[in-house]
Amino acid sequence: MEERWILFKVFRYNPKVDKFPHWDGFKVKVDRGTTVLDALLRIKEEDPTLAVRYSCRQSICGSCGMMINGKPRLACYTRVLSLGTDMVEVAPLKNFRIIKDLVVDFSDFFKKERSIYPFIIRSDAEEMMNPTGAYKQTEEELLKYLEFADCIECGCCYAACPTTATDPLYLGPQALNKAYRFIMDNRDEGAKLRLSVVDSDHGCWRCHFAASCSNVCPKGVDPAKAIQFLKGVIMREKTVGFKKEGTTLIKMSCLKEDQRSE
Amino acid sequence: MRESSLMMLHYAAAVVLLVTGSIHLMKNNIPGMEIHGPLYLVNMLIFVSALMYHAMNGVRVILIELMPKRSRAISYIILVLGIIIYLYIANLVIALVR
Repeated sequence: MEERWILFKVFRYNPKVDKFPHWDGFKVKVDRGTTVLDALLRIKEEDPTLAVRYSCRQSICGSCGMMINGKPRLACYTRVLSLGTDMVEVAPLKNFRIIKDLVVDFSDFFKKERSIYPFIIRSDAEEMMNPTGAYKQTEEELLKYLEFADCIECGCCYAACPTTATDPLYLGPQALNKAYRFIMDNRDEGAKLRLSVVDSDHGCWRCHFAASCSNVCPKGVDPAKAIQFLKGVIMREKTVGFKKEGTTLIKMSCLKEDQRSE
Repeated sequence: MRESSLMMLHYAAAVVLLVTGSIHLMKNNIPGMEIHGPLYLVNMLIFVSALMYHAMNGVRVILIELMPKRSRAISYIILVLGIIIYLYIANLVIALVR
């Protein structure tokens, strides 16, 4: 198996101690399967003061998003040799406050996500609290939002967005994508509430459709497309009115045995 | 006014610009095409109105992005500035076309 020594240039900054950030170099022996996260963990064995956030190691949790050779990527999903360079530059995600080294503060990001109500809103509160059945959703209805539902909240789109870089109050591609995902879900009844949030000075109208968000998403979600669709929904709401098919509740007694256990 | 209303007007102004701008270009460049009097004046006034709205809203959007915390103040300043410039240009157009 091919093995190579690769130089890792790692961004180092501890705001509590350092006046300015600096770069540290580490040589790591990598093979075909070595990911950037594997390499960083080897560096961490050498220098335990390096701060790096990770969890699942299989691009599901979205914890290890970082700038790798200037592009936001998941460290666990990026193989070192696939980058095709002898030097790999690793830095924290842009547009986030740095906590230490490669670890950034996601509180603003999640605050913006919470502002668009990222959950199913329904008027039948009693059914939500004490469910008696399941809400019907056809395959066609599912496909209306499925491609936007794969977001793992890694923050790569947020780091790539040029509008977020200039306007810190902008909701960002992740929150807007999520708003569209829930608006298009036929089980949801909170579209008006969400539209009032995204139709604002710092909402979806600030997107210039650079599409950097869609370009870097490690899960293949297309937030830029969702934002353009969101603008369409608002326009429809303002002109002819936005209507979507609701859903019907199938009582537990009507469900088959295997569906009930699910 | 909600952002969507402003943006809807922005898009509508672009369409109006295409139509009235085309009439203006044709009148000045196609020999034998004669549009005179109040009809052409109305066309030019609509053209200038759409142009001013589209341009000033574009500037507002850029400034809001550069100074996100001053969005309301920016909107009002642009509105006042836009009205002043519009009145000046509209007067000029009326004087020239007449």
